[in-house]
Amino acid sequence: MRMINFAKRNFKELIRDPLSLIFEIVLPLFLLFIFQQFDIPAENYRLENFTPSIILFGFSFITLFTATLIAKDRTSSFLIRLGTSPMKSSDYILGYILSLLPIVLIQNVLFFITAIAMELEFTISIIPTILVSIIISIFFISLGILIGSLVSEKGTGGLGSIVVQLVCFTSGMYFPKESIGGIFAIICKALPFEACLNIIQGALHSDFSNLTLVHIIVFLIYFIAIILSSIIVFKKRMVSDNK
Amino acid sequence: MIAIKTKKLTKKFKDKIVVNEIDLIIKRGEIFALLGTNGAGKTTTIKMLSGLILPTSGSIKILGMDMKKDVYKIKSILNVSPQETAIAPNLTIKENLEFMAGVYQIKDKEKKISELIKQFKLDEVLNRRTKTLSGGWQRKVSVAISLINNPKILFLDEPTLGLDVIARKELWKIINSLKSKITIILTTHYMEEAENLSDRIGIMANGSLVDIGTSEELIKKTKAKNFEDAFVSIATGGELQ
Repeated sequence: MRMINFAKRNFKELIRDPLSLIFEIVLPLFLLFIFQQFDIPAENYRLENFTPSIILFGFSFITLFTATLIAKDRTSSFLIRLGTSPMKSSDYILGYILSLLPIVLIQNVLFFITAIAMELEFTISIIPTILVSIIISIFFISLGILIGSLVSEKGTGGLGSIVVQLVCFTSGMYFPKESIGGIFAIICKALPFEACLNIIQGALHSDFSNLTLVHIIVFLIYFIAIILSSIIVFKKRMVSDNK
Repeated sequence: MIAIKTKKLTKKFKDKIVVNEIDLIIKRGEIFALLGTNGAGKTTTIKMLSGLILPTSGSIKILGMDMKKDVYKIKSILNVSPQETAIAPNLTIKENLEFMAGVYQIKDKEKKISELIKQFKLDEVLNRRTKTLSGGWQRKVSVAISLINNPKILFLDEPTLGLDVIARKELWKIINSLKSKITIILTTHYMEEAENLSDRIGIMANGSLVDIGTSEELIKKTKAKNFEDAFVSIATGGELQ
């Protein structure tokens, strides 16, 4: 299977990049640990709420490093060589997505082990939470494919950082949006990150009462739109890069 | 037998004609050099011949197959070594070879990889990550990778660019050893390379194929002292002799 072969190559490229591992795994783990040491009296920082936040935070770096890998492949002519091979567009897209899923799984497992070590209650709901977050990670990987197809390697750093900041400030991971309200709360609702966090938290708590219909609709719209546009833009780029 | 046949092959980018109605026949087993000044349309022509981009008009037949109808079949029997060394930087040389063997679904991949390691003397760098190698080694690996699927047609875009004299001669030896087994289309800015390696040479200028022949034929035609002068004369339409 060409797609698996390509995914293996991408996985090796990613795990051999120390920066990728530091930002995707070490930094979120450090934040998970350090915020628990402060004993902050806010709901957001309780382990059962903050662990899903850290999962989402880790995904924002998945976007950044997916984008960087694709932009690098484009600029180094690696994709030109592959463009003359019998690989099809589906092999590329699925190859990129599949290569990131083991990293997503490693992230989840390590975050939960650390959280449990810090007294998060071990419940069976951790397993569906991991499964749900793997589905959500496909949105973040596709966003990375889209960014990596649109801009150069330098540009991925800038756009990737915006995604990281948006996740931090609009998902509700650091502070409740209600505490600010107004336009900011509307922006948070209009972006997909709050919905993503509510879904992961809901899965962990086995309680989706915080998840509204608006959240589900917003998430689905972004999920479908980003996946479709990443496929279209990547395919277009494969042609236009070769002009 | 004919390996490549194009009919009125044309590529336009918006209103700009980059390749203009090229009629070309390349025989099987031939080494064909495509020369031209910068922007003459060589790379675009190669990209069309290798299935990377579609022509605006005209047709391409590779070993009798139509590029539009049989593109995936054609892609499995050709290979390209691009101008920039297109190899995965964090993979070792062996992993790069294995990866490309997977891309082409090579059945006896270990045997093929061993053959290439021997042919290109890659033993000493086999387990090194590509990004740690010198430009010369990377280029050598890039050419080695392009032979992984035993291509019937091979495109070498500036294969010896940046190589030292010894590495260049070594690569010439390898390319010469492939003569008559593989149809090779070569682009280069080194006139001596085209003259030494190729059976025939096509010269492009402003998107058109302006002349074609052996180096001797082209020298004779332009009454030049050597091939470089013949090339200059043809590429400039006789403005520079």
